[in-house]
Amino acid sequence: MNDFIYHIPACIDLYEEGDLRGLNLQNLGRYIAEKTGVPFRNQGNIYKRYSEERLEAVAKELARIKVKDPGKRFALEVPLQAEIDYERRRVRSPGWKVFGILYEGVLYQRIVSDLIFDDEIASDRCSILFTNQLFGTWDRDNRRYHARVSLYGFPSVISVVGLVEAPARPKEFYLRKQMGTPVELLKEEYQGRFLDHGDLRMTEVLKGYAMHALLFHLTGDPFCEDRDCRLFNSHWQEEVLHSQMDGQYEYCPRHEDFLKELKGRSPSSSFSYSTGGVGVGR
Amino acid sequence: MSEKKPIFTPVSEKEVTRAIVAGFAKQFIEYVESDCLIIGGGPSGLMVGRDIALKGVKTLIVERNNYIGGGFWIGGYLMNKVTVREPGQKILEELGIPYEKAVKGLYVADGPHACSKLIAAACDAGVKFANMTIFDDVVLREGNQVCGAVVNWTPVQALPREITCVDPIALESKFVVDSTGHDACVVKKLEERGILKTSGFGAMWVEQSEDLVVEHTGEVHPGLVVTGMAVATTYGLPRMGPTFGGMLLSGRRGAQVILEKIKKK
Repeated sequence: MNDFIYHIPACIDLYEEGDLRGLNLQNLGRYIAEKTGVPFRNQGNIYKRYSEERLEAVAKELARIKVKDPGKRFALEVPLQAEIDYERRRVRSPGWKVFGILYEGVLYQRIVSDLIFDDEIASDRCSILFTNQLFGTWDRDNRRYHARVSLYGFPSVISVVGLVEAPARPKEFYLRKQMGTPVELLKEEYQGRFLDHGDLRMTEVLKGYAMHALLFHLTGDPFCEDRDCRLFNSHWQEEVLHSQMDGQYEYCPRHEDFLKELKGRSPSSSFSYSTGGVGVGR
Repeated sequence: MSEKKPIFTPVSEKEVTRAIVAGFAKQFIEYVESDCLIIGGGPSGLMVGRDIALKGVKTLIVERNNYIGGGFWIGGYLMNKVTVREPGQKILEELGIPYEKAVKGLYVADGPHACSKLIAAACDAGVKFANMTIFDDVVLREGNQVCGAVVNWTPVQALPREITCVDPIALESKFVVDSTGHDACVVKKLEERGILKTSGFGAMWVEQSEDLVVEHTGEVHPGLVVTGMAVATTYGLPRMGPTFGGMLLSGRRGAQVILEKIKKK
């Protein structure tokens, strides 16, 4: 038996960057609060509290962390003026829609963590940023960057467009795309088998990813190995949809029990939980 | 019986030659100096040319091939249907190019019809062309301001230097546009000189790069505007699939940048 002490955050702060394409943050926040008993605050646009001067500095930092060749290890470069201009326009426009640049995920997370006030990033706050930008991390095994849906940490960052672009679609989709079939036609044909931008299922699916972030905050381990559990670490779109929408249950018995225990406690308190040898956050 | 008259007026070979040389020379002398020199006659270059020439900007497009239009004649996989995404079809409408809706937000047109209409629109607006002409170098002035291009006949490039010995010539202009596609020839020339550094285009793995190309279109260096796929190469943006709306809108954005700068001057 393993006993761990878990510290419950006082609150969950939700931030947003850009046009979140139909994600209803209030709805998502209410879900987490209902599941865990931890209140949430919708903090709005992450850039809104900053001066033009500070945003200029942020724009310069963001322009430097673009992964231009996913097949090469990232190196910091001096950006061209138009790249800084683009980032400046982006951070100054709360509903910015354009995406497609792949940012170096770890450095991106560092930049946004500097934007969250010190008191908000303290250990009793769980901060989650939802963004409409893409980020990726270097895969040491196949030596290339991969787009990611989420990076858990302080804060956790979750990409709404990454949820569409990162988990792989059915294999035959890529084969036919390679043969020249327009993506729009393929999307019609394979409708329902993967998430698309502005998908009505987005909020529902992202609830599971927000729970990953909270679990990471509490235990250091956001994932579950059970593909029917919403905490499953999906790599394929069909796995995402299964675990978040069509699983046998919402959470596996192990995580269901943990969440029940968590909900019975007060925010900002600590509790001891016996993991029964298999461990939540082992 | 009366003798049958020929259909065409008899003209000697020497008159034909004189007409070609005089016509070419007259235009070439006039366009040795222009307001805007566009390198690359693909969709974005043609669009820039058409939009600025309509506003009275003296424009010359340099094209290395005999034909104008770049890749706009055909779509993906050598199929001659070209696609544009919303709102690219508005430009098709403006140019009188017929199109059909494929699915929501995607429109398809005949490549030959679309391309020939765009070329005609540029010609009608007053754009002149130097085809079979290859970009060789940039003309720089004080502060490394780009103010022209050095060009040569395209076939010269294909011959060994030892037997060609054909020196290029220079054309001057207030602005140069790099619309040379993935090659980004003009930008690369500045890079060779250590004036700026490009990134090379990224992998074609995101469908959204059209927006990024339009957003990054503009003056990359004093006197040099970059449009179309050359934008992706310059800024390391993801490569685009065969949809041309981004090229047309990037060309339009490039034209707006030039017109604003001319207005300020």
